Amino acid sequence: MMAKKKDEIEYVKNGKRVDGRKVDELRPLKIEVGVIDRADGSAYVEWGQNKVLAAVYGPREALPKHIQNPYKALVNCQYRMATFSVPDRKNPRPGRREIEISKVCSEALAKSIFIERFPNTKIDVFVQILDSNAGTRVAGLIAASVALADAGIPMRDLVAATGVGKAGGEIILDLNKEEEDAPDAVDIPLAILPGTEEIVLLQMDGLLTKEEWKKSIELGIKGCKQVYEVQKEALRKKYGEAEKETAKAREPSAKETKPKKEEKVN
Amino acid sequence: MSEKKIVIPGDLVTEERKKLGSHVFVENGKVFSDSLGLFYPGKDIASVVPLHGKYIPRRGDLIVGIVVSQTYSGYIVDINSIYSSYISKELTRDRLKRGAVISAKVTDVNEVNEADLDDVRVFYGGEVLSVTPVKIPRMIGKNGSMLNALKDGTGCSLLIGRNGWVWVKDGNVPLLVKAIDLIEREAHLNNLTNKVGDFLNKNKGEK
Repeated sequence: MMAKKKDEIEYVKNGKRVDGRKVDELRPLKIEVGVIDRADGSAYVEWGQNKVLAAVYGPREALPKHIQNPYKALVNCQYRMATFSVPDRKNPRPGRREIEISKVCSEALAKSIFIERFPNTKIDVFVQILDSNAGTRVAGLIAASVALADAGIPMRDLVAATGVGKAGGEIILDLNKEEEDAPDAVDIPLAILPGTEEIVLLQMDGLLTKEEWKKSIELGIKGCKQVYEVQKEALRKKYGEAEKETAKAREPSAKETKPKKEEKVN
Repeated sequence: MSEKKIVIPGDLVTEERKKLGSHVFVENGKVFSDSLGLFYPGKDIASVVPLHGKYIPRRGDLIVGIVVSQTYSGYIVDINSIYSSYISKELTRDRLKRGAVISAKVTDVNEVNEADLDDVRVFYGGEVLSVTPVKIPRMIGKNGSMLNALKDGTGCSLLIGRNGWVWVKDGNVPLLVKAIDLIEREAHLNNLTNKVGDFLNKNKGEK
């Protein structure tokens, strides 16, 4: 339990934050690619305490037919929080917040995909938040973007995202829940296409001065680029490891048990 | 084979002026990759070979399809693409049932990636295996080298559809399944035909 009142917490002390990070430091970020077999592409992200699963299906026929667009694919991102992802049980019914986040994430992802190459289709992206501690929409977004790349969907760039904001009068990167609850807190989820620095998602609650605003966007873009490096590394690693594994797997393959006979189609 | 590089979407492929191949796009005079795939810097064409992806029909492709339903004048055929295709009853003398396996040639593709089919052949017996469509070229190999290795090694008669479906009959099918697994796993590595040949020789007796 918090001993002090929120007004009395020093959010930045000697350049260190409540959880010991520097002001421009991300929480530890881990990305795993291809975790769901049945999906076309998938990814699992652990970002601090946030745990996120993303799965991509498609492009596939958009149904009912009247939603089809003959000029482009629809990107349908569904952001959902698990009932056990927050301290009190969350009602599994998608609420106002989830529907809004689904919408803004769909639009951010659609910006990165060559949707015009897949007319009349739909790309389904399912983002499930398993554990949350502030910044789940950006965690969901980077997971979704990596999953899209894993599915082999043509994209301009990955979507890299991070939270940035203010707590205790200081501009800080990647706020956690405690910092987000500060009395003067400002929270800005920011997503960019790192190649062009085009902003694809930007939301804010709270108040900032012009200088603080400039500083936070600068810091946010710097943070996004750090995230981008981790995303790229995760995608490369999947195939780097495959190479190593096969070198190992060569030898015992002869001893493997025989596979079951495939079901006849005809 | 020249050295290769794993590229991810948005990675710079080259700044040189090169012929553009597949899965690349140009921005500000530079060539970028649009997929997770492999790029061979030595080649004079800037092209990326993707590691995953759905099958999009192209004119001239030979594909394997499965009949899913019939209408008054034809059959609806699943071709493992975004859309299913239609073949007229005039194209085949056989009465086809749901689940029948056919091969066909793609004669035309329209602007929304729907395929017209022709040269329909019907296959009786056997089974259909599934492979990631982007890995089909590796299953055929240069001048069909891999295909021959698979045929000789397993004794199967097989037809590889460009859409990622493979029809097989007779021979050592379980061994073929293993060999296909190997190809799928190592499609991005060099010297695959020899590896598969060795693998098949080693496990020839196994059923």
